Amino acid sequence: MSNVIEQIEQQIAKLSTKAVKKNTGHIRTVADGVAKVDGLSDVMYNEMVQFPGGTIGIALNLEQDEVGCVVLGDVSQLKEGDEVTTTGKLLSVPVGRALLGRVVDALGRPIDGKGPIASTEFYPVEKIAPGVMSRKSVNQPLFTGIMAIDSMIPIGRGQRELIIGDRGTGKTTICLDTIINQARINKVGLASGDKNFRPVYSIYVAVGQKQSNVVRTIAALEAADALQYTIIVAATAGDNPANQYIAPFSGAAIGEWFMENGQDALIVYDDLSKHAVAYRQISLILKRPSGREAYPGDVFYLHSRLLERAARLDGKGSLTALPVIETQAGDVSAYIPTNVISITDGQIFLETDLFNQGIRPAVSVGLSVSRVGSSAQIKVTKQVGGKLKGELAQFRELAAFAQFGSDLDAKTKATLDRGARIVELFKQPQLNPLSIEVQASILWTLQKGYFDSVEVKSVVNASNSLRDFLITRKDALLTTIRTKAALSPEIEADLKAAADEWKATFAAKG
Amino acid sequence: MAADKKTKLLARQLFKLSLADGQVSAEQISGVLGWVNKHSPRRPLALLQLYQRLITTELARSQAVVTHAGPLGAGMLAQIEKAMTLKYSRPVTATAAPDSSLLAGIRVRVGDDIYESSAASQLASLSA
Repeated sequence: MSNVIEQIEQQIAKLSTKAVKKNTGHIRTVADGVAKVDGLSDVMYNEMVQFPGGTIGIALNLEQDEVGCVVLGDVSQLKEGDEVTTTGKLLSVPVGRALLGRVVDALGRPIDGKGPIASTEFYPVEKIAPGVMSRKSVNQPLFTGIMAIDSMIPIGRGQRELIIGDRGTGKTTICLDTIINQARINKVGLASGDKNFRPVYSIYVAVGQKQSNVVRTIAALEAADALQYTIIVAATAGDNPANQYIAPFSGAAIGEWFMENGQDALIVYDDLSKHAVAYRQISLILKRPSGREAYPGDVFYLHSRLLERAARLDGKGSLTALPVIETQAGDVSAYIPTNVISITDGQIFLETDLFNQGIRPAVSVGLSVSRVGSSAQIKVTKQVGGKLKGELAQFRELAAFAQFGSDLDAKTKATLDRGARIVELFKQPQLNPLSIEVQASILWTLQKGYFDSVEVKSVVNASNSLRDFLITRKDALLTTIRTKAALSPEIEADLKAAADEWKATFAAKG
Repeated sequence: MAADKKTKLLARQLFKLSLADGQVSAEQISGVLGWVNKHSPRRPLALLQLYQRLITTELARSQAVVTHAGPLGAGMLAQIEKAMTLKYSRPVTATAAPDSSLLAGIRVRVGDDIYESSAASQLASLSA
């Protein structure tokens, strides 16, 4: 009994009798998720305000006689005259490892029905990006598991690589492949007991997407056992635009925790076109002046301040960003695509035509570029894939000319044959990333002409057969390639022996 | 009807004219209202509503509404008046408003600011 009394006494002691000061205002109008509030004379820009019923809002427009607040919750309960109070806090979200494997909303609240998140730390949603002095150049690789990307458009930890393309060209698939590949690498790395191994944790931010798509994404990650290394921040099409506007910044705050604590994280913003649309909607309702395509003047700053938060920090970790942009009819010169292209360190352009031809992932080699990733590429990939981009460019050029005439010299024919095989080799089924050692082995086999005798239409089968052969029978060789990260004469000799063995079995089967 | 920019500007000008020595003056207000009657500016309803809001806000800043549950101690209002006058560097007058929903303690409102020291608010913070 005395324990109970003590508990109550402690609770009473916690209750200070000192007066608490609050700054208040009253709702004048509420429309489309935005409340215009009278009063709130002490409110700060971007400060969290509290509406009746615990609904949270953010003060976005501080005007002479009213404050424009976006409401991050149910507006149907709010009415004219309701009291609004300041909180003295900037909008913050819970961060930390406790969020791994969870699905949260734009405010970091769990929406997966797995109970509360045991997180004690909070990070502000809006934060100034790391400065010049605290950054370090990008020189560590981040493997996507997609051969066409890892060999020709390599991505480094701390890089911002845009994934751009029309609807239905496989943008989200590339992101999911990358997340799944990180999970696979994490599992192998952590199991190896290597003290220098740095796992990459992933954050997937779904902005304005259909709920069914988000469910499919969660299912795909669960099926690949990648959800345990992933945090999903969902602001779906059903959420109000304020939540859609905040979600990428919340995701960035969650990612920053890993970066600040000496760990590496990958964040996918899927997608920033819908994010810009949500921001345009809020801005128009707040009566901010509109510019090109009715976007507000600060839409560039909206994305630049978000993407600048991805960095590799000196003595700490890194945050790699994969923003996604959806184009209309392949138009990369529209307002938002050009903005984001200019902010990021390169782009992976996906073409509808390639996708329809069955070339998947439909990466357009000519238009895709990685501005800083080559310095992060490991030696083995440079050794086997250094010339691929040039060879493919040459192939495309010659293929265009070859359409007009049938008489081709031997060299041109060889280039065309090699190019056609490279294109086939880069075809990869979705949600099935390849480890870098398997990629290197397959590309080495291609460079050494093992695929030259294989018919173009059989290249995919041959590649799959080689992959299975290497994984099941040459595990030691793959481990050596992974640990050495370079091709030595001894490794090349082993590869040659393995390739000869595979070729014999493949020819016998074929 | 929502006030446009010109109406807002005029309302603010009229509000400034309604002050004498930084305080709302009844004489000045009647002068302003007389001017509005005489010149009938555009959107008179929106103008007067805006003007009224500005005056009400200004008056609220000089008034401390002391909501209390139970009896208010003698001299308490005078003490609050003194403290608020000192805090806001302007004359503040206090008025009492009994409210049993506070359960115990007081709540003082000066303009947008609320100083809360009531049992009801502490219980609310416990339940949050």
